[in-house]
Amino acid sequence: MQTSDCKITAQDAITESVFRIRLSAPGISKLCSPGQFVHMRVSTGLDPLLRRPFSIHRAHESAGEIELLYRVVGSGTATLRDLKPGDVVNLMGPLGNGFDLEKPVDHAVVVAGGMGGAPVFYLIDALLKRNKRVTLLWGTRDGREIFDEADFEARGVALKIATEDASKGHNGLVTDLLKTFLAQHAGSAGLGGYVCGPEPMIRAVQDIVRSTDFLWQASLEEQMACGVGVCLGCAVKLKTGEIQMVCKDGPVFDIREIAFNG
Amino acid sequence: MVDLSVKIGSLTLKNPVLTASGTFGYGREYDPYLDISQLGGIVTKTVTLEPRQGNPMPRIAETPAGMLNSIGLSNVGVEKYLNEKLPLLADVDTNVIANVAGNTIDEYAEIVSRLQHHPRIDAIEINVSCPNVEKGGLAFGTDASVTAAVVKGVRNQTGKPVIVKLTPNVTDIGVIARAAEDSGADAVSCINTVQGMGVNIHTRQPLLARIIGGLSGPAIKPIALAKVYQAAQAVRIPVIGLGGIMGWADAVEFLIAGATAVQTGTLNFIEPAGPVQLIQGLESYCITHNISRIADIIGSLEKRPVK
Ligand SMILES: Cc1cc2nc3c(=O)[nH]c(=O)nc-3n(C[C@H](O)[C@H](O)[C@H](O)COP(=O)(O)OP(=O)(O)OC[C@H]3O[C@@H](n4cnc5c(N)ncnc54)[C@H](O)[C@@H]3O)c2cc1C
Ligand SMILES: Cc1cc2nc3c(=O)[nH]c(=O)nc-3n(C[C@H](O)[C@H](O)[C@H](O)COP(=O)(O)O)c2cc1C
Ligand code: FES
Repeated sequence: MQTSDCKITAQDAITESVFRIRLSAPGISKLCSPGQFVHMRVSTGLDPLLRRPFSIHRAHESAGEIELLYRVVGSGTATLRDLKPGDVVNLMGPLGNGFDLEKPVDHAVVVAGGMGGAPVFYLIDALLKRNKRVTLLWGTRDGREIFDEADFEARGVALKIATEDASKGHNGLVTDLLKTFLAQHAGSAGLGGYVCGPEPMIRAVQDIVRSTDFLWQASLEEQMACGVGVCLGCAVKLKTGEIQMVCKDGPVFDIREIAFNG
Repeated sequence: MVDLSVKIGSLTLKNPVLTASGTFGYGREYDPYLDISQLGGIVTKTVTLEPRQGNPMPRIAETPAGMLNSIGLSNVGVEKYLNEKLPLLADVDTNVIANVAGNTIDEYAEIVSRLQHHPRIDAIEINVSCPNVEKGGLAFGTDASVTAAVVKGVRNQTGKPVIVKLTPNVTDIGVIARAAEDSGADAVSCINTVQGMGVNIHTRQPLLARIIGGLSGPAIKPIALAKVYQAAQAVRIPVIGLGGIMGWADAVEFLIAGATAVQTGTLNFIEPAGPVQLIQGLESYCITHNISRIADIIGSLEKRPVK
């Protein structure tokens, strides 16, 4: 594996702070799977210094391209936002272990919160390719960050939306949608859960799904330096007491195994 | 052909570029990105007698042109290091330097006695400079007499080259370097990280769970250069320079200031192939400047004319 300079082929604004970027990355588009990430050097300068991790939002193997979806939160993402088609960033990847798509699941319930929406597009593309039934529960604070609803529905995804600004769907949290879903599907066989979002949401989901008896895979985020298990910066503690690295052993974990309180 | 080789005690490095402890795992993790046999050597993650999980999260944060860490010497422990990690390096054509730390003076000697027979270990680097542990570490490396005691204890256990890794968090690094030399060290390496801290002004929380950590990366390069210069002035044994090296030009600065070899740390996280590119850059520099042996530029700092 190599680090590779990748040309930006398109970049568009979803809102004033959320952007979708498309990159020419033939090697990565061929090798990657849903839930994996790329580690990006946004500039060759010394500040920002470290690479920034981003989940793969979509992969287009035949075009040799990948897409990322990101929110501007600091200097690295602000630098990325200001880049134009034709500009180049350097990528390491694909890194980490993605979602296990081989588990015998008939009906996938995908829970996405905030920028957790990013990897979910790629995940759902892969689930649909495997002829799974897919329910997407998607929550954001700002309803404008929910997009492509018609496309999901046209492809047969059962989409339920929650927004905190009450602009779309249920006015509240995605975890409200999850509780309703689980009440409606109590005792159903063949379910599999996938969770992407900020840590407080994942904690809440961990609590809610305790009564279920199927697998819940959650994608975690931690501050990263190396992205490949060397610096030992991105540790997560499991309930067994074992320490694992989010970048190398994850970012996808069995939600029941994560010990959030150390 | 440029002769890039340098000597650290009885150890010959084919070139002066090593990878720094804690930034290159146990040596094989970056195999997909570079050929480690091209390196002058690798320094493995600090190993302690017992395995350590390390400090609470978050344990890294970025700061301007640098990063803070408080990993806390998370490592597999000496048993697993000997049985599982060193064998992975069996057939690699480069020097392997084991970096060790203990909670007590005796523990340093004990761990070296466990390691020193292993044929794959070419030298030992003693970490008396980690800012992220309660015992040992920085507390030892800031005190010349404790440093001397640690080095003597280790020296009694091994005939292999002993390198003492120094902290910059002292008033006079020359005093500590001399204590190491007088106690039998074959070389000193400097610097370990500079104590640092950051605060999130919105939450008023520290960036690191342990509040204070160690700063590395280009932000510390001028500090590191000054410490390397001071150490090189104070001792006759070789000084290995590190701290903020991002490219070959940085490495040349360290050599001119008095370093015999250099280590790359934070660079490895950003450009895993960086150390190998650095070697190529050193060679080109020598060709451009008509230098046939890189060792000739060590400590070659010129005086500025008085104005
Ligand atoms: C495996 C993984 C996948 C990710 N995927 C995406 C994605 O698809 N889209 C997206 O927008 N973001 C994603 N992130 C988060 C993204 O990496 C950070 O938002 C980014 O690094 C911030 O960089 P910055 O320089 O803009 O902000 P900084 O100035 O570095 O930080 C600004 C703020 O963001 C927080 N932050 C920084 N890095 C992270 C991080 N790695 N995780 C959580 N919070 C962080 C900081 O604590 C700080 O509060 C992912 C993170 C991981 C670990
Ligand atoms: C994440 C991280 C972990 C480190 N772990 C160790 C360690 O285990 N032992 C050690 O002697 N130094 C350790 N260091 C210090 C480095 O080896 C080096 O001295 C320091 O980072 C300065 O060099 P740099 O600026 O090139 O990174 C660590 C540094 C970092 C950033
Ligand atoms: S980011 Fe370095 S170990 Fe995960």
